[in-house]
Amino acid sequence: MESTWIVIFPEILIAAGGLLIFCAGAFWPRRPEKLLSYLALIFLAGTILSSAFAPMAGMSLSGMLDSEGYARLFSTLIASIAFVTVLISFRYSKRRNFGNDEYYGILLFATLGMDLVARASHWLVFFLGLELLSISLYILIAIRRDDPFYGEAALKYLITGAVAGAFVTFGIGLWYAGSGSLAVSTGFAGFPGSADVQIMLAALALILVGIGFKISMVPFHLWTPDVYQGSPAPVTAFLATGSKVAVLGFLIRFCFHMPDPLWSAFKPALWIIAFLTLVVGTVTALSQSDLKRLLAYSSVAQMGYLIMSLLAVKLQSGLFALAFYLIVYAAMDLGAFGMIASLSEESKDRDTLHEYQGLGYTRPWSAAILSFCLLSLAGLPPTAGFVGKVILFKAVLQANVVSLAVIAIAMAALSIYLYMKVVVSLYMKPGAATAPISSLGFYEQLGGGLILLFLLWSGIAPSPLLDLISRIVPAGM
Amino acid sequence: MNQFPLLSAIVFLPLLGGLLVLAWPRRPSLCRAFSLAVTLADLALVLLLFIPGLRRSGGPWFRVEDYAWIPSVGIRYTLAADGLSLMLLLLTTFLGVLCVLVSWKDIEEKVSSYHFFLLSTLTGILGVFVATDLFLFYLFWEVQIIPMFFLVGIWGHEQRTRTAMKFILFTMAGSLFMLIAMIGLYVVHGRQTGIYTFDLSSLIGTSLTGSVQGWLYAAFMLSFCIKIPVVPVHTWLPDTHTQAPTAGSVILAGLLLKAGAYAVFRFALPLFPTAFRASVPLLIVLGLIGLFYASWIALSQVDVKRLVAYSSIAHMGLVVLGLAVLNSVTLSGSLLQMINHGVSTSALFILVGMLGERIHSRQFKDFGGLWRKMPVFSAFFLFFSMAALGLPGLNNFIGEILILIGTYKVNPIAAAFGFAGLLFGVIYVLRMVQDALFGEIKGEEAVLRDIDSREVVILAALALAVLFLGLWPGPVLGLFEEPVNGLIRLMMPAGVS
Repeated sequence: MESTWIVIFPEILIAAGGLLIFCAGAFWPRRPEKLLSYLALIFLAGTILSSAFAPMAGMSLSGMLDSEGYARLFSTLIASIAFVTVLISFRYSKRRNFGNDEYYGILLFATLGMDLVARASHWLVFFLGLELLSISLYILIAIRRDDPFYGEAALKYLITGAVAGAFVTFGIGLWYAGSGSLAVSTGFAGFPGSADVQIMLAALALILVGIGFKISMVPFHLWTPDVYQGSPAPVTAFLATGSKVAVLGFLIRFCFHMPDPLWSAFKPALWIIAFLTLVVGTVTALSQSDLKRLLAYSSVAQMGYLIMSLLAVKLQSGLFALAFYLIVYAAMDLGAFGMIASLSEESKDRDTLHEYQGLGYTRPWSAAILSFCLLSLAGLPPTAGFVGKVILFKAVLQANVVSLAVIAIAMAALSIYLYMKVVVSLYMKPGAATAPISSLGFYEQLGGGLILLFLLWSGIAPSPLLDLISRIVPAGM
Repeated sequence: MNQFPLLSAIVFLPLLGGLLVLAWPRRPSLCRAFSLAVTLADLALVLLLFIPGLRRSGGPWFRVEDYAWIPSVGIRYTLAADGLSLMLLLLTTFLGVLCVLVSWKDIEEKVSSYHFFLLSTLTGILGVFVATDLFLFYLFWEVQIIPMFFLVGIWGHEQRTRTAMKFILFTMAGSLFMLIAMIGLYVVHGRQTGIYTFDLSSLIGTSLTGSVQGWLYAAFMLSFCIKIPVVPVHTWLPDTHTQAPTAGSVILAGLLLKAGAYAVFRFALPLFPTAFRASVPLLIVLGLIGLFYASWIALSQVDVKRLVAYSSIAHMGLVVLGLAVLNSVTLSGSLLQMINHGVSTSALFILVGMLGERIHSRQFKDFGGLWRKMPVFSAFFLFFSMAALGLPGLNNFIGEILILIGTYKVNPIAAAFGFAGLLFGVIYVLRMVQDALFGEIKGEEAVLRDIDSREVVILAALALAVLFLGLWPGPVLGLFEEPVNGLIRLMMPAGVS
C-alpha cells in the first residue's frame, strides 16, 4: 500500500495544489495574484521533481496507472509544460485581469488531466483524464469573460470536444465488448485468445477518431485554427503542447503494445492519416496571413511527422525519436505562442503578419526567441528541431516507410517558406507595428530563455537528452 | 591523434567573434575593427596549416580531429583537411577579410548584427570544407545558408525580401532531399554492416544496388547542383547576386558556389561511383549548356551585377564539365578553376560594388568614361576583366586550359564546344569593359572620385592572388595532387581511365 502513495504522489500534489489555489482565492480578502502564481509554480515544481525521481513501480493501482519510465517521462514533461505556461502567463494575465485563482487552479487541473491521460493503462482512467483536461481547457479558453471572441473559440472547442468524447466513449464500450477487459495494454497478453478482433477493430477506429480530434489529425483538424486564434496566447500555448503531448504519449504507448492482427490493420490507416495530416497541414499553412492560424496549421503538420513516425514505433529507434521529437515539439510551440503573448497588445493578441513587421528591432529579445522557435519548427540547424527531424526520419526509413518519408521531406521543404515568411515580417519589412510599451517581464524572460537554451542545447549537444530517453524508455516498455 | 584542435579553432573563431560583436550594437566602428581582427586571425590560423611541421596525420589528411558527438546515433564530430580543403580554407578566410573591408563604408545600418551574420556564414562555409562526417557536413551546409538569408534580406537592395525567400527556398529544398538520401545511405550501410555511422570513409564502401544508388545520388546531386548552380536550377543565383550587398555577393560567388562543386568532388563522386559514371554524359551536356546559355544571357544584361552573376554560372559550367570528365588533368583543372573563379569573380563584384557606392546604380546606362575620372579603379577593372576572360598569365587561363586539354583527350567534341563557349565570355567581358570604362561620362562627374587607400588594398590583394595563381600555379596544383589521385584510385577499380 505504501508504494501506491508514492507512485501517485505527483498527481496528489497537483490536485492538492489546485484545491489550495482555489481556497486561497476564496478566503483571501484581496486575491493575491503573485501568491497564486507562486503556489502554482511551487506545486508544479514539486510535481516535476516527484515524478522525475520517484521509484519505478510498474503498473500500480490495480493496473490503472502506468508508472514505468516512459509514462513518467511524459508526466514530467507535462508538468514542465504547465510550469512554463505559468511563467509566460503571469504578466499576460495580470495585465488583462484574469490572473485569478480560477486561472491557476484550473490550469493545474488541466495538467492533472493530461498527466492521467499520459499515464493511463486503463480505459476509464484515460477517459477520466481526457474529460478533465477537456473541461478545464473549455474554461481556460473562455477565461477572458469580457470578450465574446474568446467565448466563441471555447464553444467551438466544446462542441468538437464533446463529439470526440462521444466517439471515445463508444469506442471504449466496443473495446470492452470485444476484449472483455478495460485494460489498455495488459489485456494484450495472450491476444487474441477469446477476443473478437472485428469488434476490437471497430473500437479502434472509433477511439482513433476521438483521439484524432484532440491531436488535430486531418480530417478532424478543422477546429484547430479557430480555437488557436480565439484563445489567449498562453492558453493556446498550453493547449497546443500539453494536450497534444498527453494524448500522443498515450497513443504511442498504445501502439507500441498493440499485437499483430490489430496493428497490421491499424498501420495502413495511420499511413493515410499521416499523409493527409502532413500535406493538408503544410499546404493550408502556406496561405495563412495570421500568425496564430499559421502556427495552428503548422502544428497540424507537426502532428503529421509524429503520426508518420508512429509507423516506426515498434523499433527502439522509433520510440526514442518519438519521445525526443515530442519534447522538442512542446518546447518549440510553447516558445512560439509564449512570445506571441509577450509581443501582443492588451486588447487583443497580435494577429496578422503585418502587425509583426519591424518588431525584430523594437522588441529584439522576444522576436529573437520567436524566430529561433520558428527555425526549429522548420527543422533548420543548429536547433533541436533539426536533430529531432533527423532521428525521426532515420527511424521511419529504418521501418521501410520510404515513400511517406519522401513526401514528408517535400512538405518540410515547403514549410520553410511559411516559417521564413514570419521571420521576413519580423526583420525585413518596414516597421508598421507599434511596439507594446512594456518590454519583456522577468517571468517571460525566464520562460523564453529556458526554451531558447533548451532548443539550442539539444540542437548542438542532444546526447544527454537522448541518453536520458534511452535509459528510461526500455524500462517502461 | 588529437592534438590542439586547430581546425575547430579555424571553423569556430568567426562565430565566436560574431557573438562578441553582437554585444556592441551602438559602436559600429569597433564592430568593424574587431571583425577585421577576427578574420585576419583566422587567416593566420589557416596559414599555420601550411607549415609542414604542423601537419600530423595519416593518409591524405594533413590534420584530423575526431570526437564522439552523438554516439547513440553514430554521429561523430570529425574534421579533416587535405590539400583541397586547405586551399578552400585559405580562399574563405582571405575573402572573409576582404568582405569585412568591403563593408566598411557600404554598411551603415545595424552594423553589429551585420557582422554577426557575416562571420557566422564564414563559420558555416569553413565547416563545409573540412567536415567529413556526413551529418556534420549537412549541419554546416545549412548553417551557411541561414545567415546569408538574413544578409540578403536585411541589407540587400530593392527586391531583397523576395530574393532572400527565393534563395532560401531553392537551397533548402535541395538540401532536404539530400538529408533524406543521407539518412537512407546511413540506414542501408547500417543494415549491411551492423554499424550505424555517418562517417564518410566508412560509407564509401557501402555497396548499393543500381536503383537505390541512382536515387540517392540524384538527391545528393540535386542539392549540389542547385548550389553550384547548374542550369536549369540556377535561377536563384542572378537574383540573389543582384540584390545582395557587395560582401554577400562575394561570399556567394567566391565561396557558396565552391561549396557545391567541392561537395560533388568530396561526397557525390566517391559515394556513388557507378551512378556518377552513368550520369557523366548528362553532366557534360548540362555543364556545356550552362557555359553557353549563361554566357548568352550575360550578353544581353543591362545590370552589371547580373552580368557578372551570369558569368559565374558560365564559369561553373566549365567546372562541372571538368568534374564530369573525371581524369586527373580535368579534376585538377576544375579544382584550380574553383579557386580562380573565387578570386576573380569576387574582385569583379567588389568593383561593381564600389561603383554602386558612388553612382548608386548598377545599370550600364549610368556608367561610361570612367577611365578619365577614375584611372586607378579602371586599371584594376581592366585587369580583373582580362583575368575573367582567360588572358594567359592570369589565373583563369590555367584552369580553363587544364579542363579543356583534359577533356580533349577523352571527349574532343565536348572540348570543342567548351572552347567555343569561352569565346562568348570574351565578348561579354569586352562589352562590359567598353561600356563601363570608355565612351561618354553619364550623370554627374563629381561623384566619380577614384578609389581610396582601403579600396586599393582590397584590390591589390586580389590582384596579387590573380597573378600568383596565373604565373605559378604549381604549388596549388601540388596540393590538389593527393586528393585527385586518391579519388581516381577510388574510382579506378570499376574501370575508369
